[in-house]
Amino acid sequence: MNYRELSIDELHELLVSKKVTPLDLAKEAIALAKADTNNAFEYIMEKEALEAAEALGEPEANNPLWGIPFVIKDNFSTKGVPTTGSSNILKGYVPVFDATVVEKLKAAKAIAIGKTTLDELAMGGSGITGHLGRTYNPWDRSHSRIVGGSSCGSAAATSDGFVPFALGSDTGDSTRKPASHAGLIGFKPTWSRISRFGLFPFAPSLDTVGIFSRNVKDCAYVLNALAGRDEKDSTSSTKPVEDYAKDIEKENKNYKIAVIKEIEDSISNNVVKDAFKKSVEDLKKAGYQVDYVHVSNELLLTLFPTYFVISCAEATSNNANMDGIKFGPLSEGKTFEEVMLNARTKGFGELIKRRFVIGSFALMKENQNELFVRAQKNRRRIVDAINDILREYNFIYLPAAPGIAPKFDDASDKLSDEYLIADNHLCIANFAGLPSLTLPIGFEDGMPFGANITGRAFEDKDVLKISYEIEKLTGLKNLVAKGGQK
Amino acid sequence: MIFEPVIGLEIHVELKTKSKMFSNGPVTYGKDANTQTVPLDLAFPGTLPTVNKQGVVYAIRVCHALHMKIDNELHFDRKNYFYSDLPKGYQITQDKRPIGSDGYLTIEINGKEKKIGIERLHIEEDTCKQLHFKDFTLLNYNRAGTPLIEIVSRPELRSGEEAMKYVEKIRSIVVFSNVSDGKMEEGSLRCDVNVSIREKGSEKFGTKVEIKNINSISYIQKAIDFEVERQSKIIENGGEVLQETRRYDDAKKETLPMRLKTDSVDYKYYPEANITPIKLSDEFIKNAIESCPELAESKLKRYMSEYGLNDYDASLLVSDKEISEYYDACTKFTNAYKLLANWVNVDVLGYLNKNNIVISNFPMSPEHLGGLVNLVAKNDVSSNQAREIFTKMIEENVDALKAKQILGISSQISDESMILNVINEVLKENPQSIIDYKEGKGRALGFMIGQVMKKTQGKVNPKLTNDLLLEELKRR
Amino acid sequence: MKTYNIDVLKDAANRLLFDMSEAEYKTLLNEFDIVVKQMKLIGDNKGLDAYEPMVFPFECTTDYLREDEPGEPLSREEALRNSPRKAGGQIKLPRVVQ
Repeated sequence: MNYRELSIDELHELLVSKKVTPLDLAKEAIALAKADTNNAFEYIMEKEALEAAEALGEPEANNPLWGIPFVIKDNFSTKGVPTTGSSNILKGYVPVFDATVVEKLKAAKAIAIGKTTLDELAMGGSGITGHLGRTYNPWDRSHSRIVGGSSCGSAAATSDGFVPFALGSDTGDSTRKPASHAGLIGFKPTWSRISRFGLFPFAPSLDTVGIFSRNVKDCAYVLNALAGRDEKDSTSSTKPVEDYAKDIEKENKNYKIAVIKEIEDSISNNVVKDAFKKSVEDLKKAGYQVDYVHVSNELLLTLFPTYFVISCAEATSNNANMDGIKFGPLSEGKTFEEVMLNARTKGFGELIKRRFVIGSFALMKENQNELFVRAQKNRRRIVDAINDILREYNFIYLPAAPGIAPKFDDASDKLSDEYLIADNHLCIANFAGLPSLTLPIGFEDGMPFGANITGRAFEDKDVLKISYEIEKLTGLKNLVAKGGQK
Repeated sequence: MIFEPVIGLEIHVELKTKSKMFSNGPVTYGKDANTQTVPLDLAFPGTLPTVNKQGVVYAIRVCHALHMKIDNELHFDRKNYFYSDLPKGYQITQDKRPIGSDGYLTIEINGKEKKIGIERLHIEEDTCKQLHFKDFTLLNYNRAGTPLIEIVSRPELRSGEEAMKYVEKIRSIVVFSNVSDGKMEEGSLRCDVNVSIREKGSEKFGTKVEIKNINSISYIQKAIDFEVERQSKIIENGGEVLQETRRYDDAKKETLPMRLKTDSVDYKYYPEANITPIKLSDEFIKNAIESCPELAESKLKRYMSEYGLNDYDASLLVSDKEISEYYDACTKFTNAYKLLANWVNVDVLGYLNKNNIVISNFPMSPEHLGGLVNLVAKNDVSSNQAREIFTKMIEENVDALKAKQILGISSQISDESMILNVINEVLKENPQSIIDYKEGKGRALGFMIGQVMKKTQGKVNPKLTNDLLLEELKRR
Repeated sequence: MKTYNIDVLKDAANRLLFDMSEAEYKTLLNEFDIVVKQMKLIGDNKGLDAYEPMVFPFECTTDYLREDEPGEPLSREEALRNSPRKAGGQIKLPRVVQ
């Protein structure tokens, strides 16, 4: 039987009625993973998954994740399972502990099938900088398009139908951008809503655990399993959690939605623009108030450099523990400095080295005020502007990306407004810690593209609810890439 | 030219918490290498810091003892640098907002009090321990993450002696407040010294030399005195003091160069985003302060004003926390505080020294010592007898009465009328001795006391007998 | 701000304990030019200094402190399993000269 296009609800029904067993699902997912042609996997957890599936016992009718297979971005620590962050500097690293989210999904009796590729240590948006090379977009059979990053493998595996959901991480848009390129739901909940313990840090003030799924309700189920206070992550919120799936279909026509005109305007692709405008019209027709609001181009142009400086600065410190002493491959040297230098020179790829240098330069005493601190001040300026909008509106609704997944050899002009705004505005939600969800709204040349809905901090449930409404309006759910299938 | 030394101290104190500052790894001593770690201590990717409550309580206690302003919000920063003993590649510390700022402590120099300003006290974490061999170095992560506080003085110390007294005071505070073992020899209190000299009266600072690795309080003074002398000579000879780090070699009794400080390291401090600001309520701070055991300074005052001890005895008692605690415990069983102090300072300390043990291994309970002191206080036994009893008590592990019984010592006669009767008997029998005494023959008094002793088999209280006899003789 | 050129960037990289190829330093220099220019533009905004530097995405002050209770430590085997330089229960490095 083919389970690839089924939702968690549908799989759950099959499992509870014992028409299919967790072992059947795990076996199929593993077979698919093994036949993967998109370079989505760092490690397939065959033995672990089959053992876990066999050990499950009786179905749990009230536990929608029971027996459901999923994959884990390889920057989550998994006990006894190699975890590389797609970097050579962690080649051979086998953690001695599980990330809290991994622990929670195990406790929910979901079955981890494998560890997925990412841009090296989650720094990148293309899915090409990991140590295993390019990860391909399953929607494009010719392997000429990126799926996007940094959570490239999780996006590829989910959109190829290997699993109904996946763990990602999101520092700037690392879950939500690939979701747009892969026709998926990509959700970055409120910062601190999910424990980051065991997530390899990139920039802790921006990092959030991300969820990929193929429909909104599935995403809510996963959030139910993950959300909540964890004393191992002292930044995790003590605010009570909700049942995010309950009454998700109940409409709330009082929601007010804002669209930032300048961001929409920065997009040149008319297919994307038209689809987005149509989605806005559909929402209005459905009875929601949707208004265009304004944020100056001047401010929007600062999004990317602000993000770049803050994230690089934090990253250079967060990866200073990788030195070939406590873990990582053996490197030689006559002094400890040489040992560390050789480990880091060989272990890190060039892109992230450049980011580390930029980040460390931004933190230097004589530069900090003009780079890092300036970026931190500008971050607040951006956040203030966004929160001003959200005081009046429940959500900000925008195209998630300026177009469909780019080709590997497409070079975007890094100084164009389209790049700086349309391609990089998703980091706003990271700056302000807001819940933010990408979902598919259309296709161009058979490739999907998405829109993004961002809500107020801790109003994750409202974001899921309005997303559910949009999903209903577009009818785009449970998409599975056709290109990658044999 | 008259030179004036300018000395500042940076003291690191290891806190004796049960777990580490930012992880729940155990804090222990002497365990097998690398058996006392949790993932954060080895900087495994994905681990996150959590702040140890007791570490904060301890820091507040010391802040309070040093009269510092205590921040009501905790903020942490990262100090970024690479070193073989630094697992994360950064140290979590407090840069912009240390928990304590702007304090002082008072030392006594030549009978005069001097206030030494303290700039800041901040919370941080220890590195792993390195063991150096000829060709290689071994790393032991048991110590990695142990809570530290760093106390930074203002450059207001002016001599090796002042610096030594300052360190002694800090040590006393951290030990009495139960915050640390404060042992320099074992590294639980570490001291880096900054020394420069300048022309007396000048406002400008000279080139600063840092002295590291001083592992005993007595070496602090020696190291500084040597360094001041060395720098003065250089300048007198028209030379220039190099900005460098030196170490004290206690065998050679001199400071030796370790490394030049060519350019100062940029630690690229920035806020630790894995720890959100932590509000410290007034109540929390108050509890931390009030739960602090009595400090030496307060004990000293109490011993003198409440117990009537002299400065010498009181100071000796508070020079060691455990000794003073033993003394405090004994005071529950006797009111003869001065006598007790004498017994603790002379006999107990003597016993400890002779047997080379510490007070925690001293076999006599405070109750037993208190009982013995009571016997002496009410003149039931003489001092010499009491010493015999003291020894017996330890030998037999018994209380004073039992030891006295074993030794067959009977109680002294302290009944005045009884003693007077015997005295009058002796005087009547020895009229010549009275004459001899009046003529100033000193031996006569001793003879008469001897007679009284003889008649009572030595059971009378000698002092009382002496006093009564003198009075009686005055009347004749 | 510190002036930068290829040598300054090389020095910065070496202080981070890694090296890069010559070509990479050139790419880096170009990236630098862009970032520095963009950050200058941000600095031109007169009102910027009125903003407090933002460390956390929103107000998240807590009063949580961990109780001082030690957890179960890793066994030595677990602690050192991943080290490429383990030797006799410790981690061995070339002699660290102090």
